[in-house]
Amino acid sequence: MKMNKKLAEELELTFKDIEVSTPEDTKIEIFAHKEQVLTILRFLKNKGYNHLALISCVDWIEKAEFELVYILTPYLQDYEAYKKIGDIHLKMRIPRENPETGTVISIFPNAEPYEREIHELFGIKFAGHPRLTHLLLERDYEIPPFRKDFDTREYVEDVFGSIPPIKEEKE
Amino acid sequence: MDREQVIKALKDSGKWGHKYSFWVVYFCTGCGIIEIPPVITSRWDAERFGIIPVATPRQANLFLITGYVSLKTLRPIIRTYEQMPEPKYTVGFGSCPINGGMYWDSYNTIKHLDKYIPIDGWIAGCMPRPEAIFIAITHLWTMIDKGMANAYKKYRKQYKYYRRNQEMALGELQWPPLYPIDEDE
Repeated sequence: MKMNKKLAEELELTFKDIEVSTPEDTKIEIFAHKEQVLTILRFLKNKGYNHLALISCVDWIEKAEFELVYILTPYLQDYEAYKKIGDIHLKMRIPRENPETGTVISIFPNAEPYEREIHELFGIKFAGHPRLTHLLLERDYEIPPFRKDFDTREYVEDVFGSIPPIKEEKE
Repeated sequence: MDREQVIKALKDSGKWGHKYSFWVVYFCTGCGIIEIPPVITSRWDAERFGIIPVATPRQANLFLITGYVSLKTLRPIIRTYEQMPEPKYTVGFGSCPINGGMYWDSYNTIKHLDKYIPIDGWIAGCMPRPEAIFIAITHLWTMIDKGMANAYKKYRKQYKYYRRNQEMALGELQWPPLYPIDEDE
């Protein structure tokens, strides 16, 4: 039996209400609820998935939901072992209205800049994050710029188009 | 230099000095800076033209704005430009400072750099070849000879409008005005 099938079965036995699928031999996809994320991450960290590679965010505007994707890999394993067990995508959806979720810094400290970036570009609040300040941008935006309903052309015309050019001086 | 040029150089020795000693402030704004290492090293050896990159804006008199300018980079660009001693010349390098280039609808990149600081000339292209830098430099020599490279004088004269545009883009600025601003006019 493949290693990831074994882990997927163990996950399904341990946690209720999660969907586990193995689309490839070296990948496990988990759909979970907001409240379960911390416990699942802690469980996987004890299983050897000790590296949070990325937190990504997807804006599903038709379903009015944000999807957060936590990508975990086993770090400091040799390549043969990594090829057997692969990486894990833990997916979680939250509603688009007033999006809020808890931070995972207590388990993976390197989540801090990822969560700051998602807060800045998608407007998701992470409860318990020590500093949710600007990371990349300079201005405050009414709609965070990576959301699907942010109209870049209208914004550019409003902000940069309204700045007048400098007149040529008359001599 | 032929003999006729000697008299000209002695008459206007200031211009002569400015022309053949462009010291470029080493400031990377975007992808365009990738063209600068071949220009200043042995392949295209910019020191033949008197171009040397220097570390601080206090020593420099030429400012190459290489590539797109995000809002976050605009603030140090203005500060760097204001710290340079006069006479100072600016050249926008690449299509992005001219009108936004491929970032024309980006939410975080300024579109027309000449709204915020004065520009003496542009090098169009994405990317311009290193030869284009030398063509621009020789154009700048002609402009200095004819007294046309006076963007820094324009900055002093129209500082009120430049400062207003900078504040519109960046919000409140953390440094005092470089030149006095008359509110009455």
